Amino acid sequence: MSTWNYVVTAHKPTNVTHSCVGNFTSPQDLNLIVAKCTRIEIHLLTAHGLQSILDVPLYGRIATLELFRPHGEAQDFLFIATERYKFCVLQWDTETSELVTRSMGDVSDRIGRPTDNGQIGIIDPDCRLIGLHLYDGLFKVIPFDNKGQLKEAFNIRLEELQVLDIKFLYGCPKPTIVVLYQDNKDARHVKTYEVALKDKDFVEGPWSHNNLDNGADLLIPVPSPLCGVLIIGEENIVYCSADGFKAIPIRPSITKAYGRVDPDGSRYLLGDHTGSLSLLVITHEKEKVTALKIEPLGETSIASTISYLDNAFVYIGSSYGDSQLIKLNLQPDAKGCYVEVLERYVNLGPIVDFCVVDLERQGQGQVVTCSGAYKDGSLRVVRNGIGINEQASVELQGIKGMWSLRSSTDDPFDTFLVVSFISETRILAMNLEDELEETEIEGFCSQVQTLFCHDAVHNQLVQVTSNSARLVSSTTRELLNEWNAPSGFSVNVATANATQVLLATGGGHLVYLEIGEGVLQEVKHAQLEFEISCLDINPIGENPNQSHLAAVGMWTDISVRLFSLPDLNLITKEHLGGEIIPRSVLLCAFEGISYLLCALGDGHLLNFMLNTSTGELTDRKKVSLGTQPITLRTFSSKSTTHVFAASDRPTVIYSSNKKLLYSNVNLKEVSHMCPFNSAAFPDSLAIAKEGELTIGTIDDIQKLHIRSIPLGEHARRICHQEQTRTFAICSLKYNSSSAEESEMHFVRLLDDQTFDFISVYSLDTYEYGCFIISCSFSDDNNVYYCVGTAYVLPEENEPTKGRILVFSVEEGKLQLIAEKETKGAVYCLNAFNGKLLAAINQKIQLYKWVLREDGTHELQSECGHHGHILALYVQTRGDFIVVGDLMKSISLLMYKHEEGAIEERARDYNANWMSAVEILDDDIYLGAENSFNLFTVRKNSEGATDEERGRLEVAGEYHLGEFVNRFRHGSLVMRLPDSDVGQIPTVIFGTINGVIGVIASLPHEQYVFLEKLQSSLRKVIKGVGGLSHEQWRSFNNEKKTVEARNFLDGDLIESFLDLNRNKMDEISKAMDVSVEELAKRVEELTRLH
Amino acid sequence: MDTWKNIRDRESGKSRPQSFANRIKSNRISHLQLSNHKELISPHKGAINSLQIDLTEGRYLLSSASDASVAVFDVQRPSECNAIWYPIDTGLFVTGSYDHYVNVWDTNTTQVVVNFKMPGKVYKTAMSTLSTSHMLIAVGTEDVQVRLCDIASGAFAHTLSGHRDGVMTVEWSASSEWVLITGGCDGAIRFWDIRRAGCFQVLNQSRTQLGRRPPILKRSSITKLYYSQESSTKVRAAQKKFVNGSGSGQLPIGRLSSRGPMKQKLHPGMISTQDRATAHYGAVTGLKVTEDGMYLLSAGSDSRLRLWDIESGCDTLVNFETVRLQTSKPIQFATTQDSAVVFVPCMRVVKAFDMWSGNAHTILRGHYESVNACWFNLHDQELYTGGNDRQILVWSPARLIADEMGEGDPDDQDNWSN
Repeated sequence: MSTWNYVVTAHKPTNVTHSCVGNFTSPQDLNLIVAKCTRIEIHLLTAHGLQSILDVPLYGRIATLELFRPHGEAQDFLFIATERYKFCVLQWDTETSELVTRSMGDVSDRIGRPTDNGQIGIIDPDCRLIGLHLYDGLFKVIPFDNKGQLKEAFNIRLEELQVLDIKFLYGCPKPTIVVLYQDNKDARHVKTYEVALKDKDFVEGPWSHNNLDNGADLLIPVPSPLCGVLIIGEENIVYCSADGFKAIPIRPSITKAYGRVDPDGSRYLLGDHTGSLSLLVITHEKEKVTALKIEPLGETSIASTISYLDNAFVYIGSSYGDSQLIKLNLQPDAKGCYVEVLERYVNLGPIVDFCVVDLERQGQGQVVTCSGAYKDGSLRVVRNGIGINEQASVELQGIKGMWSLRSSTDDPFDTFLVVSFISETRILAMNLEDELEETEIEGFCSQVQTLFCHDAVHNQLVQVTSNSARLVSSTTRELLNEWNAPSGFSVNVATANATQVLLATGGGHLVYLEIGEGVLQEVKHAQLEFEISCLDINPIGENPNQSHLAAVGMWTDISVRLFSLPDLNLITKEHLGGEIIPRSVLLCAFEGISYLLCALGDGHLLNFMLNTSTGELTDRKKVSLGTQPITLRTFSSKSTTHVFAASDRPTVIYSSNKKLLYSNVNLKEVSHMCPFNSAAFPDSLAIAKEGELTIGTIDDIQKLHIRSIPLGEHARRICHQEQTRTFAICSLKYNSSSAEESEMHFVRLLDDQTFDFISVYSLDTYEYGCFIISCSFSDDNNVYYCVGTAYVLPEENEPTKGRILVFSVEEGKLQLIAEKETKGAVYCLNAFNGKLLAAINQKIQLYKWVLREDGTHELQSECGHHGHILALYVQTRGDFIVVGDLMKSISLLMYKHEEGAIEERARDYNANWMSAVEILDDDIYLGAENSFNLFTVRKNSEGATDEERGRLEVAGEYHLGEFVNRFRHGSLVMRLPDSDVGQIPTVIFGTINGVIGVIASLPHEQYVFLEKLQSSLRKVIKGVGGLSHEQWRSFNNEKKTVEARNFLDGDLIESFLDLNRNKMDEISKAMDVSVEELAKRVEELTRLH
Repeated sequence: MDTWKNIRDRESGKSRPQSFANRIKSNRISHLQLSNHKELISPHKGAINSLQIDLTEGRYLLSSASDASVAVFDVQRPSECNAIWYPIDTGLFVTGSYDHYVNVWDTNTTQVVVNFKMPGKVYKTAMSTLSTSHMLIAVGTEDVQVRLCDIASGAFAHTLSGHRDGVMTVEWSASSEWVLITGGCDGAIRFWDIRRAGCFQVLNQSRTQLGRRPPILKRSSITKLYYSQESSTKVRAAQKKFVNGSGSGQLPIGRLSSRGPMKQKLHPGMISTQDRATAHYGAVTGLKVTEDGMYLLSAGSDSRLRLWDIESGCDTLVNFETVRLQTSKPIQFATTQDSAVVFVPCMRVVKAFDMWSGNAHTILRGHYESVNACWFNLHDQELYTGGNDRQILVWSPARLIADEMGEGDPDDQDNWSN
């Protein structure tokens, strides 16, 4: 039964909805604050660009976000209001680097109708009050007192019904708003009101202006001394104030965002719906505006927000394409463009459709999304884990170790690759043809296994074998010095850095050597009580060549110890517990924090925070990476250090936001890895796996990998055809060059490897592509692409004509095989029992594939079912058909073979406006609806009465806070049959904000356990701004609000792993389960995505 | 309005899901016509007086008629069920009748659970949809007193005195579970906070405001200057005259009560009880609070329909082209969810008025005699009307019907009605 579901985010929202700039984290810091619907990111502007400081989720969809500075404060506060009528004021606590809630509250009202045009939240420039427009006909005021504290809110009645924008005016003795509105004759006007705080009412404002541009949609208040307001229309821009009025015509465009350049408000950046950026200049003589001027600057992503940072750097936040950091140059480039894009921030939103494919056929799912809109439309290939791009490989069996060496100390590139086997050591080097060939280093001992190798100072190399440590010149390649193991003892493990060698022989002897010019000198010797299993002296202090700490893993007492160097005094001893010995230890530092990593023989990894001066180990955490022993190695990618954990499930350990993250590498099993940065293969890794040595580069280090295929047009539907190895998409291109906006619709065929367009079919004028599937029919071996279309005629309310087109792919070309006219828009298509099931306006229609006498095929309608308002989303399973209606929730139909008829079986009588449906199993159906909720309904086939059987019972309800466009069965991760999570069925969803999420149907026992964990976490993890998690996840639409049930918030549950030890202990106590057990169970879940 | 483009704009995030839904709804509402795919066969042998859809599921329609019968319909599956007394889990329902009784019925057993004896014919009963802390039925009867019947105790909670004639209509506030609005045959509309004695507001048809709120306060210092400069439109000028005439240049009259119910509760209720102001000439026959809770519609035997701003207590002067309303009986009208349209029985037709212009944009003709009751189904955008011709008619968005009728192709023939 798929009743108990776990919802987790695999890809966070990336749609930038709001952004603002101010001094938030300190009076000197310039911060960019970005809202991505349900997340807030705080960035710091540095000389090197934007540096992320904080990225936190908010328990609400952000409706408004404003920075403001109350009187007497040195830095800005952040005001946030959510769509569900909660607000909070946040402040940065410099000491803890956390957000502190100054105040919070609820601004919902019993009266009034929620505004249609979106909520407005504004703050008086003199910080006297916050104004909110949440309900038609009401303006809510939250006044500030003298100390900057918020007082009780009140409503003022607003005469204007269709409010388009409200802003506060600058430089007014009393707080004054300017309202842009539309009257019932569709004419647009602006009006000003003073807010009389004492009377709690409006007083007539200083001016008003009637009959503006019909497309006027945006107000920009101009700061003192100019004051007044700019009204941005589609055909002109007007400056308006009490005593001034200036207007200029503009090229027809819809301005979506603006950013103020100068504090005095004489220049503004405007971004329009086509992504072109313009500069609006107000010329003025003293305080009198003399003219407006507008100049195009160039093209960016279609902006939803524009934030001018500093020194011509501008942040462009986008909902339809990637967000950008741009620089405005003084001089235009060859194309007359002043815009230089410095950085792009990936945005998958809006994901209107996607499909799950396994292009590499490795059992690893990939998601290909239709992302973006208009000119920024693209396909995105989203893959979990880090890929290795193979450059070269040789067959080599039995590799026991690998190290890369340089030919001289200051050579930037590695030359040699030392490969160790059980009874020999071979050395590979790059020859002049940039080929890897076997070579020799005379000073090395090549008849035995090498235990360790390293570059040493003064153009030397060091090799440790079981008998000796050898110091060799890297230039002459001759042996310079040798340290021999005492007779009767052999070296078991060894490690080294540029100046130090640490090795251990049998009997627990630990020997410390130092490397001088031509000398290898034994400095210290220590006898430990047990055998030594692993060692590390990776320098993490200030000196990159020398370490003052040594990490040692022990047999028998299963401990890891830290010794000081050079005197080998024991500093710390940490028992690991359990019976599995440590196999690899590593000292490393990420983002300025030092860690000790310790890998065990059973695939577990322990990590500790390390205080390098005291040697103290804190914050012990244990994660499971695989089932085989792990070897840890550091490597660099893009000048950042990461750790590679080689095992049966290779993993890269990296740090982000001062948090250790683990990302699996898309390779099956890796025994050894070493960085190999040669001139021919820069930034590469040498990887030993399954009898093969591979050299390859590594993807950017992050969990999800996104490849972008820009289309320049808006893809709406996608599907993959395994047999022809192609994708087909329905797309449209906007043609905004002509005066009338027109659209062209296409069916395009793409190669599934190169993503090149290989064939195209243009639809008729007014014909829109609505849906596409790949399917086959009974009694026909071919596979086809079926496309559903609609003729959208300007005078028609709802399409009355459409087509179903059947294509085959022949020699890489789309061939139209058959077409069938329909009596409406084909909203959905499904392959169904060897036939084709279409949703056409109100109707579900089944078509069979009939062979005609002339040998061609045609679609012939067989039966249908009426009774929907609009059947928008349809899924099938066996003979069952699940329909998601425009506004009548989910209904279940059944196809009766004998009668050749489709009948309604059951229906959910709630009035849910659907946005997607999916069948979880025979009895449970999943739906997403218009108010950002998820729900499941259950078929009640055992009901006692017809009435009961005819009703789909609501089984689960949950507020996702995201608008889901599509569900698909599948998984983003490699499903390993041996793991528990491999058995859990999952559904992937894609949303407008660019979220890719996973819904996993859990066994009941696990669900109960996690539900308990969730409620414990709710008590420990406080929501940003004091917002309640329970309220946030409660199912909420205009009709009802009920507590979430049978859905769990995986994002909250998985944040357990980020808690500090004290809080983990608190949870563990409340749950009566050990921290290790909790961490293990939560980690298992993280493998779902 | 183009459904397909709207769907596309919603999926790409260009239009907000809620405004998408609102647009579709208002488009459907503007295309209401007599439904041919849904039919409710009335079992009643008398005039239908009242209609209501259950509030939990929006699925069961309750109708009551002059022949002392009550029927329940499943509006989701009308073709399958036209029987009365359909067993539903929507617990209880209430009837009030001319035999002086208010009965509370158990829907499943169709037995009377509690009854209350009234001093005269019962015109109207109402329960608060917001209420979480009381189970009171407000009852308007021939008597001058409004009675509150407590289902929990089976006794009268209290009586509200103030009307000088029978009370034809009662309506609970949409914003507070304690506020009741009553309309009497004396032409008065009274507001009661049932926790306090007396009524706290009496609507007066001579107190008016033009538009959705009382006039904006003038800028005090430069009021005169602006007044002389700015009398741009006639509308504005008229309003200003009113403001100035109302009292020594201070607050306009409308503002006296504009502090809302919260402040008003402090007033000793008896003063307003003495207030003999009327909202209509003749009886008040119907009341309806708009869905947003901000305005009140009233109908009177003077054939007037008025829209009141609840906060200020002023008539908003919207001129509804009603022509003629039924005067002898209470009428029940309905508003849409967005409070943009009101459906009013005007003798044999039902008119759909635009709330703020008062224009009748649609006239629904179908009944052969006077219509008494309308109910608007918010979920399906359907209107149900019942009248003296004993019929219950269903009005649904037109588009759907046209499409289904338009199926000509024989192999496209549907079998939903078989």
